[in-house]
Amino acid sequence: MKTLWIALLIGLPAVGFAAPEHPLLQRYAEQARQEDPAFAGFSAEAGKTLYFQEEQRNGKTMSCTTCHTADPMTTGKTLAFRKVQPLAPAANPERFTDAKKVEKWFRRNCDDVFARECTAQEKGDFMTWILTVGAQP
Amino acid sequence: MNLRTPLLLASVLAVFAGGYTLANDDDHEGKDRYRRPKGLGMPADAPQIWKDECGSCHMLYLPGLLPPAAWQLQMDTLAEHYGSNASLETAEYQEILDFLLRNSTRNRLPVESRGRPGEPPRVSETRWFEDKHDEVSTEKFQRESVGGPANCVACHRDAERGDFDDDRVKIPR
Repeated sequence: MKTLWIALLIGLPAVGFAAPEHPLLQRYAEQARQEDPAFAGFSAEAGKTLYFQEEQRNGKTMSCTTCHTADPMTTGKTLAFRKVQPLAPAANPERFTDAKKVEKWFRRNCDDVFARECTAQEKGDFMTWILTVGAQP
Repeated sequence: MNLRTPLLLASVLAVFAGGYTLANDDDHEGKDRYRRPKGLGMPADAPQIWKDECGSCHMLYLPGLLPPAAWQLQMDTLAEHYGSNASLETAEYQEILDFLLRNSTRNRLPVESRGRPGEPPRVSETRWFEDKHDEVSTEKFQRESVGGPANCVACHRDAERGDFDDDRVKIPR
């Protein structure tokens, strides 16, 4: 019993300092589990791959980087020349704070690049990666 | 000298004034129907949702640039908006559509489109737009600094506030 208490006391600070999971990631994990019972968590690497994945759309090569640039810490530009504020929360803390807005842009932009909606798995993978971009180690 | 003389004089003057106006109007006589629409200022009731939703991807096209029926077509095809998905929630759609219809009633021009079938009408494919830009070469429109005929602000700096005055046009190199 005494050993257990010591273990808990040592363990507590570590738990307290660990970054709490992003609320949107929790939501996407729930959805991913519904979409696929074999869901085994999110992968930052898969999210990064998705971000750079190129598709042919209307004779043009498109990817997320077309508007958001290859460095999501920097300001991008839409095809119609509007500035796009950085996508990485490390550079733009407002990103991924409004669930409705996040869903709206996933809906539009996944269609623009991949000609379909993104799955909860893909959204979660991507967020897992973008949350690490430029973040303090 | 009776009452008729001043009337006649006035008519003659009116004809001259009218003729002068036409001849001086960039050789656009006989195409009154296709003059640039009036009432292009920023409407006082412009909702933030319009600025946010439309203005996050492209410059704000003032409602007066197209007739109401053309805006209706624009709004009904947002899921396939010149190659982009610009779909809206129902409430946002309604607020933006109402604003566009309300503020474009002075534009009585026909809906024109020379684009691909199924594509909504473009401001840059209206007769008045083509007349107004007949001296601007394709090369100039295609410059990277200009970005095509849809990007009014490249040359008309204050296009989003409705200022398309010829005197303030600057075509970038």
